[in-house]
Amino acid sequence: MSRTIYWLQCGACGGDSMGLLSMESPDILELLKLLDIEILWHPSLSNAKASFHRSLLEAIFSGEQSLDILCVEGSVIRGPGGTGMYDTFEGKPKKDLVGGLVKHAKAVVAVGTCASFGGIGSDGEIEATGLQFLKRNKGGFLGAEFKTTSGLPVINLPGCPCHYDVLAGILSSVCYGMPIPLNQYNSPLEWYNMLIHQGCVRNEYHEYRVEEPDFGDKGCLFFHMGCRGPLSYGPCNKLLWNKRSSKTRIGVPCVGCTSPDFPQNYPFFKTRNIAGIPIELPDGIDRAHYLAYKSMAAAAAPERLKKRQTNI
Amino acid sequence: MSKMKINIPLNRVEGDLEISVDIDNGIVSDAWSSGTLYRGFEKILLGRGAMDGLVITPRICGICSTSHLTAAAKALDAVVKVNPPPDAIRIRNIVQMTEHIQSDIRHAFLMFAVDFVNQAYKKSPLFEEAVRRYEPFKGETVIQTIKETKKLIEIIAIIGGQWPHSSYMVPGGIVSVPSASDLLQCRLLLNQYRNWYEKRIIGCSLERFKEIISVADLNAWLEECNSHWESDLGFYIRFTRAMGLDKIGRGHDFLLSYGSLDLPSDTKIKGSKDQNFLIPSGFINNKSIDEFNSSKITEHVAYSWYMDHEGGKHPFDGETKPYATGNESRKYSWSKAPRYDGFAAETGPLAEMVISGNKLIDDLITCKGISVFVRELARIIRSIELIPIIETWISEVSCNGNFYKSPGEIIEGEGYGLTHASRGALGHWVKIKDGKILHYQIITPTAWNASPRDSDGIRGPIEEALVGTPVQDISNPIEVGHIVRSFDVCLVCTVH
Repeated sequence: MSRTIYWLQCGACGGDSMGLLSMESPDILELLKLLDIEILWHPSLSNAKASFHRSLLEAIFSGEQSLDILCVEGSVIRGPGGTGMYDTFEGKPKKDLVGGLVKHAKAVVAVGTCASFGGIGSDGEIEATGLQFLKRNKGGFLGAEFKTTSGLPVINLPGCPCHYDVLAGILSSVCYGMPIPLNQYNSPLEWYNMLIHQGCVRNEYHEYRVEEPDFGDKGCLFFHMGCRGPLSYGPCNKLLWNKRSSKTRIGVPCVGCTSPDFPQNYPFFKTRNIAGIPIELPDGIDRAHYLAYKSMAAAAAPERLKKRQTNI
Repeated sequence: MSKMKINIPLNRVEGDLEISVDIDNGIVSDAWSSGTLYRGFEKILLGRGAMDGLVITPRICGICSTSHLTAAAKALDAVVKVNPPPDAIRIRNIVQMTEHIQSDIRHAFLMFAVDFVNQAYKKSPLFEEAVRRYEPFKGETVIQTIKETKKLIEIIAIIGGQWPHSSYMVPGGIVSVPSASDLLQCRLLLNQYRNWYEKRIIGCSLERFKEIISVADLNAWLEECNSHWESDLGFYIRFTRAMGLDKIGRGHDFLLSYGSLDLPSDTKIKGSKDQNFLIPSGFINNKSIDEFNSSKITEHVAYSWYMDHEGGKHPFDGETKPYATGNESRKYSWSKAPRYDGFAAETGPLAEMVISGNKLIDDLITCKGISVFVRELARIIRSIELIPIIETWISEVSCNGNFYKSPGEIIEGEGYGLTHASRGALGHWVKIKDGKILHYQIITPTAWNASPRDSDGIRGPIEEALVGTPVQDISNPIEVGHIVRSFDVCLVCTVH
């Protein structure tokens, strides 16, 4: 029997759904075939009338239709005042539909930062939250103790959007019944135990502290331009986007979109610093050693980097 | 048969749209278009850093994030009064147009044409062919569209790092410095896409199709050879005509373009109408084209879930004060109701082509008026105009050239950025004070098209286009689906 997916959009922008269409090797259609997955419902792609959708939901709730994987895109919106009326489906709060569906799914996957941690709107009046986390705090909409019918917590796949290869990887892992080791934010270690910084083509510039004070050049963006590559976990520069590149490679400072507290509550594109040294240093680094290392590195910087001769 | 009300939560649109119609003796007698999600972007932006719109606003929409970035960057260009270098303008345009053409084809064949596979057409001799082409996840065109459009998007990633949700445009230009090989790759990817589009979608060269300037030409083209007839465009024309989709979905006949895609100062490409845009601005009311003036844009909230105010407000004075009443008042949508000079204007590729003076589209409208058929046709054939221009602009960019003029720190000022997203007119209005965002208002294309009623009770364009439509089977109101989807509605944008 086919495995089944129901894809639910809540406080979302559709970016993670667009990611589905970007999947590579295999692409989404091939992946569904290989894993024998049937998409019961996807709001952008399904061809079924409203009455079918209503009876599908009833069948899931009654247990008549089994649900293997529930993918949730977008935050759970609880505002105003906990009513959820900022996001409704047929007149009722969408959050009630979330609450209903999670009880019947063997695995629940939070696709993207909003579904994982609240993301955009988690500080705002819409009272957005992630399914099982609100920013760094466990709990979220479903509570810290929530487990699916097969005993799993919500699997968080942060990123704005979530990288489509990560999603493909998780769908495969679930279907093949493989173990999925998670970090403290319930994100798979496989993809979230490396920094965005790893694999950035500007790394040599970073190494020798050749830092840019403005956009439009080849150097590193960490010291002045607010790049969060050395602080944020995710596979952007390993997997690359659309097979080609990443934001940091082409000169957009990483905005830390995989972080539980994205979007940060201070300005983007500006590094907060003390005497020219960033307040937030690469994850886990000792400040005094870092200062010594960076001043030595700057002194050792080769001319070709200082003159931006080396391509990126 | 008496009068009845039906509610249709509509899928295969981007985001949450619920359409409600009154049906009186088999004819739609009234309609309501309701966006059912509020995310509060205009308030989330307040107090944030002056540049933060470049990160936050693309995330309004995963489908047209590049266009939001364009509007946000242009608004800041205006705040600091800087003109980006010509090559930066070229690159901004190349990326935005690439987003348009993939979005058009994804919409046409992954969302719109899927309705041809509806059970309502089971008895049609064209049904079997429709299934073969457009069955979700399986149809031949569906499979090819997914494979080819994602390759095209690689152009955006080469220049902007990723798609969706990059922030590579900044006030003063772009952050990246594309190399010769980057530009070469863009060119090859575009050539590949052109080849596929010519072979599969239109069945002829772009140049051949451009010769078509009248309905008679179009009919002759269709019959001319097998590759035209069997192309997806050929099938589109055959199917929509057979099902009468050229007779429904007219609307108000008010069309709006802000003007889009700035012309760099030193390009071979000429705009029309002496404007500094590739796509000219204008407003059509009763056939004449008026000069566009952004001060005539207002937003109403009488039927929207926001605190009431009299009449409409210009986005520089606009406010966003949500007021969730549920279904107990006259309010019924999280979309505000944008109006141009008081008119409920339609925007999108159709409006752009009419205002640009496209002869084929003009003749189709003169013959039969605006309809589902011509509205979606404009979207399917837009690539024919855009692909050669993207090619020219890619070839004109000088690699390692000048792509950024630093505007310095942004402390204070106001400005607006107008552009066109894939679905039509998009604007961001921003005020900066003490380096922070003091005011941010956004009007999206689908806010225009899927607008609820305004203070005078005038219906929005989609609502108006639905009125008068015969519905064969109220348990499967496919006609409503066709009309709404022909606007390529994007609710995530609308309910920002």
